[in-house]
Amino acid sequence: MTTLSNINTSVPNISIHWNGDSAITLFFDAEAGEDLTRDILSLAEEYKSTFSESLIEAIPAYQSLTLCFDSQSIDPESIETSIKAILDNGFNDIATTTSRVIEIPVCYQGAYAPDLSSLAEYCKLSVDEVIQQHTQATYLVNMLGFLPGFLYLSGLADPLHCPRKKTPSLHVPAGAVGIGGNQTGVYPVGSPGGWHIIGQTPLSIFNPSAKQAFIAQPLDKIQFVPISIEQFEKVDQEQI
Amino acid sequence: MSLKFIKAGMQTSIQDAGRFGFMHQGISRSGAMDPLSLQLANCLVSNSINQAAIEVTLVGPTIEFMQNLSIAICGAEFDLTLNDKPVFNNETIHVNSGDVLAFKGLRKGTRAYLAVAGEFNIESLFGSQATHLTAGFGGYKGRQFGENDVLEIVSPREVELRDLPEAYRPTFSGNYLLRCCEGLEAEQFEQESLAAFYDTSYTISVDSNRMGLRLEGQAVPLNAPMSIVSSGLVQGSIQVPPSGLPIISSVDGQTIGGYPRIANVISADLTLLGQLKAGDKVSCLSVSRQKAWQCMEEKYRFLNALFSS
Repeated sequence: MTTLSNINTSVPNISIHWNGDSAITLFFDAEAGEDLTRDILSLAEEYKSTFSESLIEAIPAYQSLTLCFDSQSIDPESIETSIKAILDNGFNDIATTTSRVIEIPVCYQGAYAPDLSSLAEYCKLSVDEVIQQHTQATYLVNMLGFLPGFLYLSGLADPLHCPRKKTPSLHVPAGAVGIGGNQTGVYPVGSPGGWHIIGQTPLSIFNPSAKQAFIAQPLDKIQFVPISIEQFEKVDQEQI
Repeated sequence: MSLKFIKAGMQTSIQDAGRFGFMHQGISRSGAMDPLSLQLANCLVSNSINQAAIEVTLVGPTIEFMQNLSIAICGAEFDLTLNDKPVFNNETIHVNSGDVLAFKGLRKGTRAYLAVAGEFNIESLFGSQATHLTAGFGGYKGRQFGENDVLEIVSPREVELRDLPEAYRPTFSGNYLLRCCEGLEAEQFEQESLAAFYDTSYTISVDSNRMGLRLEGQAVPLNAPMSIVSSGLVQGSIQVPPSGLPIISSVDGQTIGGYPRIANVISADLTLLGQLKAGDKVSCLSVSRQKAWQCMEEKYRFLNALFSS
């Protein structure tokens, strides 16, 4: 059997593609959102139990799922067939836990919001309107990725869409809340970054030595809550 | 029971085989850039093969031992001295308390691995002792070593002196062929772009690091902007951003990619990425996925022969 070409499954709207020589990516031709994210996570669980130890990573994204295998313990020739069989036979939905709404306090003031006024200007809104629109929406956590604990959120209001900075900042602090393109998010660790920083949370988004290292999981909802500089500093000190 | 860094070197950190199973939380593998050299060094001091060792990059450290130890160094070739007398890669070395090991000029390759018969007194985070340099956790205080840092060693052992058979001693010429199989979005590239990619001899850029290796040279011609559905970014993926200059993702790379992947370095050749440095030349050779699997199988067989001996 030749496996050089990428095959399509008989399940509608899902295609299977090799991603290098030891990973396979499934693409879902459906609109990104809560339903699709739930399907992708369910499928990820199904594959974890089927392949157990030989499946090293199952990486969900908006419209894809990437499965990385231990090349020492799989038969690459048969892996496509096994993946397809599960799609054909159907898979169980993950237990529907009521998704949590997690409140993230954000200070949209002063030095914590270096790019807020320039973003407001670009969006032709007042600073207060930007804050109002950013805090009014409830965002869905589609997946984690890019940096440890970084949340990919959907649900940013259209008027707040703004192209990334032409020249990325060399250092964005952990907790910075930014907007880039049609996305908003919180930097979990300090890093260079191209997003417009409109605020900062005093909460730890990623804390590797804590029992709960991550503030949220896929399918959780995020609500940003505005706080003052005084409140920011109070929470910041309590965490130390 | 420790060793001390008199000089820290450019980027000296604790690395093991890395973290597995956390990419869905944004945690890249981290770990040794050249896991093969790590394993060979561990083999020489009878450690388990993926145990944590000290990864040394381009400019090496000077280390004072505070106890008697058995050590071994594999990977990049530095001019090594122990108390100012030359010592060498690829063999077990016994050091005494007070001895000073210096990594002097770099001759070949990029990263060396110093394994110690014993264990580092370092906690394991997300299943590994590796230093996650981009996120600042794991390893020694979540960072690379600095001057005067002291690394504690527990359960040291004295091991029999041995050296690596000739076949297991790599040579790093600075001029490499990377075997690649088709990338996830390869079909979206035009024939002309694919041909240009495989025909070009690239130079490794100075902007390369543990996240990725940037290639300089003739840009891959892109007639129209390409947009893709973002998905899991595996190690060895070769992404082509709008500039046309490819980037090979490595152990500290991001977990989800947004640029089209033209090719993937085959698993058997990934260890080589750890030995590439600015100015090195690389060309990519297209191989089938079956060939990639064969190469991996041969590599396992080759290594098992050593580790079981």
